[in-house]
Amino acid sequence: MDDLQFRRAIYADPNNQDADTIAAQQQDPSKKQFAKEICQLDERIRQALHVPVPDDLCNKLILRQTLASHQVHKRRTRVHLALAASVAIVGGLMLNFMQFSSAYSNLGDYALAHVYHEQGSITNNASNQVTLASLNKKMAAFDGNFSQSLGKLLFADYCRFDGMKSLHLVYQGRTSPVTVFVVPKNDQLSFTNSFNDKQFFGSSIEFNNSNIIVVADKNESLGQWQQNISETVSWSI
Amino acid sequence: MMTKQVRYEALVKALHGDLYRYAYWLTHEKQVAEDLVQETFLRAWRALDSLKDEKAAKSWLITILRRENARRFERKRFDMSEYEEATITDTKSVTTEQELENHWLRDKISQLPPEYSEPLVLQVLGGFSGEDIATMLDLNKNTVMTRLFRARNQLKEALEAEPVKRGIYNG
Repeated sequence: MDDLQFRRAIYADPNNQDADTIAAQQQDPSKKQFAKEICQLDERIRQALHVPVPDDLCNKLILRQTLASHQVHKRRTRVHLALAASVAIVGGLMLNFMQFSSAYSNLGDYALAHVYHEQGSITNNASNQVTLASLNKKMAAFDGNFSQSLGKLLFADYCRFDGMKSLHLVYQGRTSPVTVFVVPKNDQLSFTNSFNDKQFFGSSIEFNNSNIIVVADKNESLGQWQQNISETVSWSI
Repeated sequence: MMTKQVRYEALVKALHGDLYRYAYWLTHEKQVAEDLVQETFLRAWRALDSLKDEKAAKSWLITILRRENARRFERKRFDMSEYEEATITDTKSVTTEQELENHWLRDKISQLPPEYSEPLVLQVLGGFSGEDIATMLDLNKNTVMTRLFRARNQLKEALEAEPVKRGIYNG
């Protein structure tokens, strides 16, 4: 390693630990002396640059960060609160929507579900009978009237048909009760002319302000029921 | 949360001194240097998760500080030459002989062209290797080594040329 190269290396980095420069220093005392001088210079530079650091700087830095992150934290809790509120509102709306909107899209589905729900609570051979007069009293709420009885009426009362006040009639059928619903017209459930499943079938008759739905097991003659209803029911305006 | 806090405090304790000295060298003013360090650490706190390698913490902080310092100049433009900046530094606190010499040497370093003095300060104060400095200043390593060589060379010449003048300060 020649002198110029050595000087460059030492000037660039006095603490140079390259094998070459160390070897060169050991071989040549003047090089060693030069390296030492530059190291001393470096030490002086270090001292010159080593200005005293303010005592409280460290604490200030930590304090400032603590305050800053506290503010961020506060802001974040506010955001969380807002989020929670939004979720609560959305949840409330969903609940509202689910509770007050129908799970069934048409009359038939709902009527079947209703019949299944009531199944067993009224037996076909129950002894109680509702008179035509009391039936017509109830029908008055729908501005309707039956001129004669359709059969043995086991049960007649108002009920909620998908949230609407309607009349629930149960007649004695051939093998199982026949259910007749008098339901005011509404837009939520679409009108279905006839419907069926494995056990029951049913049909709807559309009148001016109301629908009458008959649901019976498959031993009944739906057409007969439909005809009887059409013939006996009359509506006042 | 807590571990981040612990990490941060450790970082502050270990490195605030070096950072302050570097900032002081950049700004020549105690208060500005302090503000700069505070700003740097605040930014560091926000970005602490991006610091993966603790060994790189110092150069990471120095890089933030340099950027922060550059922003300071964007905000308010000082029209001062290097020489003026050097001379407005404190002469008040200079008391001992050692202090005088330090002050004189600081002046000399400040009077070096900044492209020479900056690598020198990073090397001496920050203890960074040639490669580290090259990455920080976005230069290649040979350039950095040449500049270090010139910086020391000029300082040495200045020291040898002015032993008498330094006596004036002493008196």
